[in-house]
Amino acid sequence: MRITRLAKRVKSVAFFFLLLTGYYLLFTDAAYAMHISEGILPLNWAVLWFAVAIPFVAYGIKRLKEISGTDLSYKPLIGLMAAVVFVISLMPIPVPTAGTCSHPGGTAIPAILVGPSISVLVAAVALLLQALFFAHGGLSTLGADIVSMGIVGAFTGIGVFRLLRRFNAGLSVSAFFAGLLSDWAIYIATSAELAAGIKGDAPFLPLFPKILAAFIPTQLPIGIVEGAMTAGMVSLLFKRRADLLVKLGVITPEQARGAI
Amino acid sequence: MKLFSEHFNTENFLSTVDARVKLIVALALLAMVLSHKGIIFPLIIAVVSFTLCLRMRIPLRILVFRLAQPLFLALVILLLKFFFSGKEMLCVISLPTSTFSLLTLIGHKDGLMEGLLIAVRILGGVSLLAAVGFATPFIEFMAALSWLRVPKPFIEVMMFAYRYLFVFLEDATTIYSAQKNRLGYTGIKKGLNSFGVLTGSLVLRGFEQSQKTADAMEQRGYTGDMPLLKGKPLRAVELVGAVLVVIFGGVAWMM
Repeated sequence: MRITRLAKRVKSVAFFFLLLTGYYLLFTDAAYAMHISEGILPLNWAVLWFAVAIPFVAYGIKRLKEISGTDLSYKPLIGLMAAVVFVISLMPIPVPTAGTCSHPGGTAIPAILVGPSISVLVAAVALLLQALFFAHGGLSTLGADIVSMGIVGAFTGIGVFRLLRRFNAGLSVSAFFAGLLSDWAIYIATSAELAAGIKGDAPFLPLFPKILAAFIPTQLPIGIVEGAMTAGMVSLLFKRRADLLVKLGVITPEQARGAI
Repeated sequence: MKLFSEHFNTENFLSTVDARVKLIVALALLAMVLSHKGIIFPLIIAVVSFTLCLRMRIPLRILVFRLAQPLFLALVILLLKFFFSGKEMLCVISLPTSTFSLLTLIGHKDGLMEGLLIAVRILGGVSLLAAVGFATPFIEFMAALSWLRVPKPFIEVMMFAYRYLFVFLEDATTIYSAQKNRLGYTGIKKGLNSFGVLTGSLVLRGFEQSQKTADAMEQRGYTGDMPLLKGKPLRAVELVGAVLVVIFGGVAWMM
């Protein structure tokens, strides 16, 4: 009896480490932290995630058209922002708990600077580039990746940032929590998408927490790094180019005067 | 980091095929791979795509490197499904420890089939996309996306991003090396700080470069629209070839 219980416990530990190994070796390579690879999602799920993502991307394009109608530098700015997000997402960050490297998502940064709707567009551009030319992510999983990294990441990031600013939290503190919670929200959304995609005829719920648990050792520290990165970025901009933050509506002119 | 199209060469037949045709055929085959209930069809697509890549003289090392990540994922999902999913028992693997069997893994037949299906789908999808990616330069892809009615602002943003991707990668590497030389990553706190500064510097460069780019483009007559490569009329032989490939694919899909 005791042996059976022990065997069960060992089996669950083995299962956890199997998931973990898979995650480390696959999801933490030179790419966005949480891509879903081509082919994982069956067609119905791939189509569903596209249906969710398309209205958000379309609204982002509409906003881009409106703004670039009066400001010719806006399209290059968004393009360059996508390039920056792409590069940030390739930065190797050592994860002490896992003894490996992982990569940040970087979606909170554009969400704070250019707003969530344009940020979804930025993420979609970066993801499509990675899928087409770098074998990271995929065309069929693009919708799911946009939903988790673009939509969930951006809206969580900006939501947390604005909420904390409303409660008079400092710029860096708000940015830190925006980056942190945005990363963790991406990880929860990706786990849900993965669980739904590979569950087959089995129920969703037993698999979801297992995948969620497999992400924990890398995503908890990566979230903190992402928070620090977002805070560092905002604080550097505040020190050197507060006028840009005013122009983008992140701070008011009165707040910017405090930077001088 | 190397792009697919850095290995592009014009000496193979797939490179000469119109990007629009390649993209449409690839999307049709991808839909078939994802919706197929068996393992043979995705496997056929994987083998054909892999062979095409080799015929394009893509070094095997590059191919393996590109496909290593999804291949391993396929293997892990296969093992997960085999041992931890399904009801119909196929085998029992007991891993003995000192005196008694401690770890018993039960392999399931239905789990194995589900795992195999997902694994070959990954294999098929990734190989297919790699074959198209290796055979199509960026600018032709953009023209094909435009022809497929992907909104122009989206493509323009993508072109700006692609243009500056490598500039920023180089900038990031330079800043990172400089920070490392000044012991910027010797402790957790220092490391976090350095990453923040690195990110901020890149964003600042992005802002400044975008302004310079816009000014330079305006001086050269930029009015907010970028011209895209206009596609030539589709050749009948390519269209017929594409239709045949999709029909053959469809027949194999139904079998």
